[in-house]
Amino acid sequence: MQGTVKKGRGMGNELGLPVTFFLAALVMTWLSYSLPRFLPGDFITATYGASQVTLTAEQEAALRAGLGQEGGFGLYLWRLVRFDWGFSYVFQTPVSALFFSALPWTLLLMGSAHMISMAIGFVAGVEAAWRRNSPFEKGMVGGMTALEGIPEICTGVILLFVFALQLQWFPAAGAETAYGEKDFLAHVVDVGHHLALPLCTLVLAYFPGNFLLTRNSMIMVIMADYINTARAKGLPPFRIRYVHAARNALLPVVTRFGMRLAFMITGALVVEKINAYPGVGTLLYNAIAARDLPVIQAVVLMSSLIILMIFFALEWAYRIIDPRIRHAR
Amino acid sequence: MNHKFNFAVVFSHLWILILSGLFFLPSGVWAKDQVKEIRIADGKGDWGYPNPYKHYPRGPGYLRMSMVFDTLVWKDDKGEMPALAKSWRYDPDSLSFIFELQEGVLWHDGKPFSAKDVVFTIDYFKRHPYQWVPLNKVAGAKALGPRTVSIHLKEPYAPFMAYIGGTMPILPRHIWEKVDDPKRYQAPDAFIGCGPFKFVDFDKTKGTYLYEANADYYLGKPAVKRLIYIKAKNPLMTLLSKKADLVNIKPDMADHLKKKGMVVLESPRGWNKKLMINHKKPPFDDKRFRKALAYAINRQEIIDKAHRGFGTPASFGLLSPDHPFFNPQTPGYPHDPEKARNILTSLGYEKNREGFYVKNGKPLKVEVVVSNISIAGESMSDRDGEVLKNQFENVGISVDLVNLEQATADARVRKWEFDLAVTGHGGLMGDAMILERMISPKLAGSVNSARYGANRELLELLDEQMTEMDVQKRKAIVYKIQTLYADELPAISLYYPVSMTAYNPEKGITWYYTEGGIALGIPIAQNKMSLIQSGAGVK
Repeated sequence: MQGTVKKGRGMGNELGLPVTFFLAALVMTWLSYSLPRFLPGDFITATYGASQVTLTAEQEAALRAGLGQEGGFGLYLWRLVRFDWGFSYVFQTPVSALFFSALPWTLLLMGSAHMISMAIGFVAGVEAAWRRNSPFEKGMVGGMTALEGIPEICTGVILLFVFALQLQWFPAAGAETAYGEKDFLAHVVDVGHHLALPLCTLVLAYFPGNFLLTRNSMIMVIMADYINTARAKGLPPFRIRYVHAARNALLPVVTRFGMRLAFMITGALVVEKINAYPGVGTLLYNAIAARDLPVIQAVVLMSSLIILMIFFALEWAYRIIDPRIRHAR
Repeated sequence: MNHKFNFAVVFSHLWILILSGLFFLPSGVWAKDQVKEIRIADGKGDWGYPNPYKHYPRGPGYLRMSMVFDTLVWKDDKGEMPALAKSWRYDPDSLSFIFELQEGVLWHDGKPFSAKDVVFTIDYFKRHPYQWVPLNKVAGAKALGPRTVSIHLKEPYAPFMAYIGGTMPILPRHIWEKVDDPKRYQAPDAFIGCGPFKFVDFDKTKGTYLYEANADYYLGKPAVKRLIYIKAKNPLMTLLSKKADLVNIKPDMADHLKKKGMVVLESPRGWNKKLMINHKKPPFDDKRFRKALAYAINRQEIIDKAHRGFGTPASFGLLSPDHPFFNPQTPGYPHDPEKARNILTSLGYEKNREGFYVKNGKPLKVEVVVSNISIAGESMSDRDGEVLKNQFENVGISVDLVNLEQATADARVRKWEFDLAVTGHGGLMGDAMILERMISPKLAGSVNSARYGANRELLELLDEQMTEMDVQKRKAIVYKIQTLYADELPAISLYYPVSMTAYNPEKGITWYYTEGGIALGIPIAQNKMSLIQSGAGVK
């Protein structure tokens, strides 16, 4: 991808990038179609394995025949083009309906976690770099390095134990009180109340990385001559920090933001699982346990396509943030 | 001044009167009132849409469906009770069960229920099978009047009342007669039944269900207005924070919950952890070898080390000691490593320098497959595999322990690609048909069935008990089956884990484990009859 960009500003580059991404998307689609098929076990075994019901050979054959879904990659691709993602084996409902009912919760959880951790990580990083060698900076770097090492499953469980079990300030599971019969405002408060613990878990997991990255790149930037020039001009420190220096320190942070966002769908799996949060991660987890092939294929495909789209968008974002990339030859 | 004072006194007296009225009302008055809602939580949440064609084929899925759809006969805390049929009898001459149906029963859409619906249901399930209800022994059904139905059998069929009368949900003819593909049928009327609750919503992503009381329910008005199922990963937190009124718990939580005023129920022994043996390949095809394995296992040690003592060793005859057909004379294999070693030596095995057995220069090495298994809908992880490995190695059998995800492990057992595998299943308290289901080789694809065909007498008895309509004669056959099965040992029942449910008694609902399990033997304490106001009874 970088190679294509560096070719220059000619037609080849403008066309080359979308073509590369299109080919990658095709490969991703094929992988998402074929890889889940290699999973050992199948839907009938997974479903009836621990069931009260024992199937006779005829019953099993009839069930298998009812699943359908065969027809090869060509047919799969043709269906995808027509936005037909097939039927879930488990629910016997269209996969797209399942996916889009889970997606908003993941977007809410992961989107807010990324935005909050990036915003506070960035500001804290800039301020720490500006106060280099101060106790504030040293304390922050030490603390964040330690926090960066704690996996989210650990923070998640600790938060649940303290705030849900002991203090009972927040609910332990779910995204809202089921069938709570609340008015709009009370409902929003309820959703926020349920969101708090998983959101804090994720912010605590992402914030240290954002902080450390911003601080490091900011330190490189403020040593540059043009910052001295800006100081010499007598510009207010706030303006130097955020308009002159921070903009140039933003690039790696945006890259990290994009990369993290790309793994949004599957990234929340652990947190969704321990907080019983109804997102795409939970959907994928349950689908794999039940060997619900059409759902696994759709979630894997959509996650990989979203990754591709975000990389594609990042290419354009770089050009806006850093004109050197746009003018590179 | 004076006037103001009087007003305050009157007001305060009135307030005290209201408060005392609230606090001193007899509790019975509360119990008779309809509670606003009951919330039931489990760790999985989604169990499919609650109709026969869409629910997940496990206990919790059936129970969610059973709130909407009623059967001919049901079971409550006292045993078998009339549901849609108020009485029934078996006529051996015509090989028919004759049911007299209740009067004044309405479907949730207000249409009247009649014998034609029952006849239609049998016919429809024959065309579009519902796996919970085996109808291969049923010839057909006939309406003998608006409220009399005769179900005709091809041959005597002993499990009829358990598997058909007490399990088959009755479908409304006026809705399903127009449906050709019931699995994909998703219209709102696909959830019209005549059960105590009307289905309102199922959120697949969140794993939540909402039902509303059916005020016209023919067995009595439901005691709660709304029934809600939610998904919760931590039952202890969910119950104590009052997010749910009933949850499944781990046995070690019981004391803490009791101290907090919760009621804790312990399930009868209807579910067993089982060691599956690949008896199709040597050395496991020799029953002497299988017996050596049985003697090598210390089941009490597994319970103590892997389950903190919560459990009891299982009968080798498969049926639970709590089953009315349990044979107390079933052969047993008490832990005896020396006996195990003697058998192995008699089979030509010799110990090498490391203390492990070899035969003809080949080491005796077995692979034990273990996985997380769900019990009553909750996934359980344990250390059974490690304890078993130690016990086998203590005898001199080298073990390769393989830990797999459940579906992967199940797939290997299905295809006979294993030596030994730890699995588990329930149904040991329900109809004795479970013996046929868990032993007979006819059920080729089953994961939990031993699928054992090497003993002809055992196979004949399994068939015979299915057609014996006399209870005492059937019991005698089932006794023999348990003796033979325990002697052949095509699989080894290890232990019955303790399974518990805890509920908050504040709402005035009393839950219980149904004797023999709900319907065909579901060992879950969520019988819909708990939610029907007591005293309403059958009209």
